[in-house]
Amino acid sequence: MADDEDNASSVLDADTFIETESPEVIIARIEGKSRQVERLLRIPQYAEALETALMDAPTQTRDERCKSANWILVHRVLMATKDVDGLLMGLNPELHDILMKYLYRGLATGDRITCDLCLRLHERLFDMAGIGCIMRAISDTQNLV
Amino acid sequence: MTIRFVFLQANTLRPYLTCIRNTLTAAMCLQNFPCQEVERHNKPEVEFKTSKELLLNPILICRNEAEKCLIESSINSLRISIKVKQADELENILAKKFLRFLSMRAESFQVLRRKPVQGYDISFLITNFHCEEMFKHKLIDFVVAFMEDIDKEISELKLSVNTRGRLVATEFLRQFT
Repeated sequence: MADDEDNASSVLDADTFIETESPEVIIARIEGKSRQVERLLRIPQYAEALETALMDAPTQTRDERCKSANWILVHRVLMATKDVDGLLMGLNPELHDILMKYLYRGLATGDRITCDLCLRLHERLFDMAGIGCIMRAISDTQNLV
Repeated sequence: MTIRFVFLQANTLRPYLTCIRNTLTAAMCLQNFPCQEVERHNKPEVEFKTSKELLLNPILICRNEAEKCLIESSINSLRISIKVKQADELENILAKKFLRFLSMRAESFQVLRRKPVQGYDISFLITNFHCEEMFKHKLIDFVVAFMEDIDKEISELKLSVNTRGRLVATEFLRQFT
């Protein structure tokens, strides 16, 4: 019984969470990505821009600044897109889960325009990715976006 | 101008309810889980939040600045808290009174919580026992239909209050003409 308690606490203890990269490295990478995303948005290539923004999302860190920085980037791409269906059609299926997590983050903001967009995207993404996508987004307590 | 505003509002209602329905379908996967800390106790884990591994991420779905829905799930229970739209003081009072009326009769609703969660107007608590007795999809239909009807009810109440006020004022002031 005592063993189980120790195991349980070590799995979820924030202090023992091993951070592979320092926050500064992650922020530098996100800044590099933002330049690439701006370039892609000017062309405009929305699907590629979204893929760049979602790739290597800082889920393996506890630093809030990195997460906010990446969220701002994803938000920028989503607001710039006009064609919602086309955007999701061209998206790599591996990135569906991370996009769903960002959509829930967008829905939590409360800003009318963001929420409107996120609700529409949520509906389309659910049609494409299915209920498993939502399940993975809500049950993943370790890799928060 | 008002017609267009109403149309825009109706436009976001459908996706908002669809999102809540889909999220609830995913979050309402409940199973029996006796309490880990105390023998022979069976508690809804979402209310006590004693063990982190039994809880899922809480999901907040906002339609706009005024309306939102918080869905907290755990292994054996699910809590849904709703904040309804309150455009002015009168709607504020009506919503508070009406939802308090419903919350006081939570026994007959079974899935309703007696007190809403802090910051929200009304809360539901669905446990694995409810899912065993009742259909999961019907429970979700109930919650979504409840959300749709609440707005209609409060608008009707507001309309009847205004009509009554106008009639009373007309009758009263008639004696002075």
